Amino acid sequence: MDRASPPAPAKKRLTGLDFVLFGGVAALILYSAYRINDVLVYRWDWSRVLSFVVLHDEATGTYAANLLLHGLATTLRLAVWATILASIIGIVMGYWRTCENLTARIISRGYVELIRNLPPLVFIFIFYFFVSSQIFPALGVDDISRDNWVVNTTAFRVMFGDPQLLSNFLAGVLCLALFEAAYVTEIVRAGIQSVGKGQWEGARAIGLSRINVLRDVILPQAVRKILPPLAGQFITLIKDSAIVSLISVQELTFLATEVAATTTKVFETWILVGAMYFVLCYSFALFFSRLERRAAKSRR
Amino acid sequence: MQLFKTVNSLMVAAVVVMTMAASTVSVFAQSMLEEVVQRGTLRVGMSTFVPWAMRDKKGDLIGFEIDVAKKIAKDMGVEIEFVPTAWSGIIPALLAKKFDIIIGGLSVTPERNLTVNFTIPYAHSGQQMAANTALTKDLKSLDAFDDVNVAFACRRGSVSCDVIQKKFPKATLRQFDDDAQAFQEVVNGNAHAMVSSAPKPRFWSDAYPDKVYVANDGKNLTQGDEAFGLRKGDLDSLNFFSNWILVNTSNGWLGETHDYWFKDQSAWKDMVAPE
Repeated sequence: MDRASPPAPAKKRLTGLDFVLFGGVAALILYSAYRINDVLVYRWDWSRVLSFVVLHDEATGTYAANLLLHGLATTLRLAVWATILASIIGIVMGYWRTCENLTARIISRGYVELIRNLPPLVFIFIFYFFVSSQIFPALGVDDISRDNWVVNTTAFRVMFGDPQLLSNFLAGVLCLALFEAAYVTEIVRAGIQSVGKGQWEGARAIGLSRINVLRDVILPQAVRKILPPLAGQFITLIKDSAIVSLISVQELTFLATEVAATTTKVFETWILVGAMYFVLCYSFALFFSRLERRAAKSRR
Repeated sequence: MQLFKTVNSLMVAAVVVMTMAASTVSVFAQSMLEEVVQRGTLRVGMSTFVPWAMRDKKGDLIGFEIDVAKKIAKDMGVEIEFVPTAWSGIIPALLAKKFDIIIGGLSVTPERNLTVNFTIPYAHSGQQMAANTALTKDLKSLDAFDDVNVAFACRRGSVSCDVIQKKFPKATLRQFDDDAQAFQEVVNGNAHAMVSSAPKPRFWSDAYPDKVYVANDGKNLTQGDEAFGLRKGDLDSLNFFSNWILVNTSNGWLGETHDYWFKDQSAWKDMVAPE
């Protein structure tokens, strides 16, 4: 390590001023919560909305997941598949952005600029109706039988959800992945370019091929640098997944609108759904910060 | 409103061009009816809208429309599959063949009729208006609501918004993604009134009798015609569904089912409430 002296250790002890600040913030929150009931004419009733998370069957005494939990599962599936797909596209496109080949550079640049300069909503609407009316029929996705031996298994259901909604789900994954991959591309490009030119030249000089330089010299360093922004991007992806509710993918936001419309308990529904998104995103944030610490430890 | 309409028509135009490009390949396209029988399932596009379609305690779909669609499928001898769809995109989704038919309390309008075919109506619900009692105590007649200082709320993309614009052109229009939100604005006093398909404004007003009332002496503002929506150019299917409605209107089944869901909530309240 060639760093200068380490920064001063963080203060561990809370002073009187801190307690005053905390107290002030807490008082403000309590006051606004109290004020809400003055401004809002609203009967709070959590039981109906909560029963859409987990249903308690009094006849048999069992608990079963209801709409909102199913929605959360779909959101999770969407996030996982879209993250994988966005990483693949992002790494390829990011490499192309730094490539010597002009065609590759034009394609990747065009892709990034097109997506970054469209609002996600507009992109998803156009892309969805294009994909669902042109590409999926050509691939035969709509014709996949629900009794197919691959489709009709528990593993498939865990990974992709209800086979009935497969084509819709895939469209959602594709839209989301293509959208987020443009940002991943730029992060990857920045990571590759952040490694000094001298390293490229040095590695090439000792006879490594371009692919080898990338794999053994550049990427290991780049990955450490891009991990924090990449983590942020993936968490953004989870939150952005709410927009595919517009194309009727049955994820958390879509089902929440259904629950809100049915129960007319708008605030309870959205507060609850907000909490569910928070738990999901925050656990991913914790997971990524662990990864970062591990990457930092392995630094030679 | 204007922006939404532009976006919506752009979407529809895009879908029409794409599906036309796709359909020119097969000139002798099957009618949707044959496809449904061959596939063995009728796929119905719908959107949650009390009491047309809603969720019961278990999260399953129930409602007037759900009963109608189930009976059609039974009469055709096929399975039923519901495709819950975001309301603002329901027509583009029909054109993109996400499902076979819209049975979603879709009101017949000439404008919509340019892009989809309608069967004969299977329900006549019309629009109802709920108003905030305190805010509108000085507004004696319906005409008094046509004022710049009056704010209306409605569900984006619905006929209700058009009704407000036509009846109360001077009033301010505020649009929401679902009408529960629009109604909440009225209860909170952020909007003077809201318009939605009957009987929702009445059901909701019953829950807040001292805050909200149904304007126009409880009568509907307009008489609406709800029909099934189908893709253009398929007369066989249109004929089948129109006659299904005709037969079930004559034998009284549609009227009875409509009454069960629309008269009041007593018959089915237990299905949707938690306890």
